[in-house]
Amino acid sequence: MKLWYSFVKELQLSSKSWYFYIEIGMAVILLFILIFVVPKETDNKTDEYLYAGLLPSEYVDLIYRGILEEEDEDEKYERVEIKVGGDVFGADLFETDMQNIYFVDDREAVLRLAEEDKEIGVEIMVGKEGELVYKYYLQGYESTRLRNLYMMLHNNIVNYKLIDRHMDRQTVINIEDNPVILNNRENIVPVFLTYNGSLMGLFIIAAYVFLDKKEGLIQAYAVTASKVWQYLMSKVGVLIVTTMVTSLIIVIPVIGLKANYLLLILLVVITGFTFSSLGLVLTTYYKDMMQSFGAFYILIMIMIIPNVSYFTPGWEPGWLKWIPTYHLLESYKEVVSGGSDAGYVINVSAGFFVAGLLLFLFANYRFKKTLII
Amino acid sequence: MISVNNLYHSYSNDEKYAVKNVSFEIKEGEIFGFLGPSGAGKSTTQAILTGLLQLQKGEVTVAGYDIKHIKNEMFNKIGMSFEQSNVYSKMTGKENLAFYRKLFDVETRDPQELLDLVGLGNKGDIKAGEYSKGMKHRLTFARSMINNPILWFLDEPTTGLDPAIASEIKVIIREQNKKGVTVFLTTHNMYIADELCDRVGFIVDGELKLIDSPKNLKLQYGEKFVEVEYLDGKEIKKESLSFVKKDDIERLKEILDNFEIQTMHTKEATLEEIFIKVTGRELV
Repeated sequence: MKLWYSFVKELQLSSKSWYFYIEIGMAVILLFILIFVVPKETDNKTDEYLYAGLLPSEYVDLIYRGILEEEDEDEKYERVEIKVGGDVFGADLFETDMQNIYFVDDREAVLRLAEEDKEIGVEIMVGKEGELVYKYYLQGYESTRLRNLYMMLHNNIVNYKLIDRHMDRQTVINIEDNPVILNNRENIVPVFLTYNGSLMGLFIIAAYVFLDKKEGLIQAYAVTASKVWQYLMSKVGVLIVTTMVTSLIIVIPVIGLKANYLLLILLVVITGFTFSSLGLVLTTYYKDMMQSFGAFYILIMIMIIPNVSYFTPGWEPGWLKWIPTYHLLESYKEVVSGGSDAGYVINVSAGFFVAGLLLFLFANYRFKKTLII
Repeated sequence: MISVNNLYHSYSNDEKYAVKNVSFEIKEGEIFGFLGPSGAGKSTTQAILTGLLQLQKGEVTVAGYDIKHIKNEMFNKIGMSFEQSNVYSKMTGKENLAFYRKLFDVETRDPQELLDLVGLGNKGDIKAGEYSKGMKHRLTFARSMINNPILWFLDEPTTGLDPAIASEIKVIIREQNKKGVTVFLTTHNMYIADELCDRVGFIVDGELKLIDSPKNLKLQYGEKFVEVEYLDGKEIKKESLSFVKKDDIERLKEILDNFEIQTMHTKEATLEEIFIKVTGRELV
């Protein structure tokens, strides 16, 4: 009962503090960003601007026909206007599944688009032997690979059509049967849950505890018939509730019914407990927030590293898996995608629970030892 | 009620002791004053007795409990009023007391009754953060009585209070003591110790120099004086003369016979003067 009274009191106090509303506010802001700023699916189409005004009209007709028959989605082009700086240029637009190809009326438009808008500009001319010559206007920072690719696309020995035929003969096998594919919005949610949810718990609980330390409230609690662990657990409980609220603010509108909410709650509760306990341990080594800031900063920066791997799947060194947030990110991804690998999430939760329990016991020991320091 | 034997404590876990070889006993129903200047070891000793500091060396029992293996039920019997007010500033005075009473397993006192007792009866619904320093101190003091303690630790209970309120606090301490509550009073204020304590202990540099009742200390170390102001011609003169020394008695007779007396007071040695005499240190 004392734990319950302490928890209710902590909940009332945190509802009167800024930290609580900062966390809720951040969740709402992120939700708005996800819904109104982040597109659900990324438009992977590139814009290419070509000038073919120096070609004979039969060459132009041939190129137009080639694109319309083989690449254009609706097999027709449309007349559009392109703004470059304050000037307007006319162009014919072809929309393929990979590109928006603009045949502009004026060579100046290609040059200015490349120079001012950093777009890819191409000038098509006729060579000495009547062949087509492509002159690319690049920015200068493009890789040698890309330059070679452009050169390869327009040679007579291995042209694009030949490459395309070879590509069609390749067999691609997916290692995973049902790979988790999240849209852009959904893909950010595990990152939020990990960092603004679980990981911020360790920082916020430190703020609460240092405030209590400053006001001598821990000592006042320590001379009651209640136990120190009950004081600590009441703080942890508040952090878990806050994390749960902020997590659901994001998950429900963005993920909807797709998420596995049972596993989500399990993961939020356990990781909230673990990271809060870690925060409690750290607070016993420092007098105030200022003194502890360095330690918290280093810890949080280390925990953020797996984020790089999350958004760059090609980079995943073995040592990364020793950082707990790596598994947390993967677990949250599994949870929000409603994936079938519940076993992984449960194993990760169990690992975090054991770690959290040990940290909490150590925090309790340290608190009892440092009550008046 | 309290038994302390060969108590040592070092914050740096070495030979630099903040408290060294302190031994004393406090009987049930006694008001014991633990006196000393800042940094003398008063708060360290009190923190060990209340379980806020872990016992390193020595034997300590408080209210029948061995401090080496503290049991939480011990705190049902003790009350602690801190020198620095430590109340929840975002809760009202009444909410503060209402919360703390839930943390004990014994019958507790009504928050409003306690607020009335310390003169905060009409301020109970105001957030403690809006209280003045003295009001917060009174709330901390009131909280220490919430569980009807049989052993009451008071750390500088009148510090920062105006004389009228300080006087009320002293009355409360006396009344509680009359009900049988044992009081362990930590202070560097010799006047409050002199007024309230049955016995006092002088602690300096972590060592307990002596323990006795204020009355015995005055008899043993104090000297009675008479301060006399008289008119010598047109000039008012002032002399302080001992009741014990023969020359001073003769001089007093001479003044009474030959001069017009303006004022005359007898004066006892204060505890502070005795403290300085015994320890060679001032109570700063």
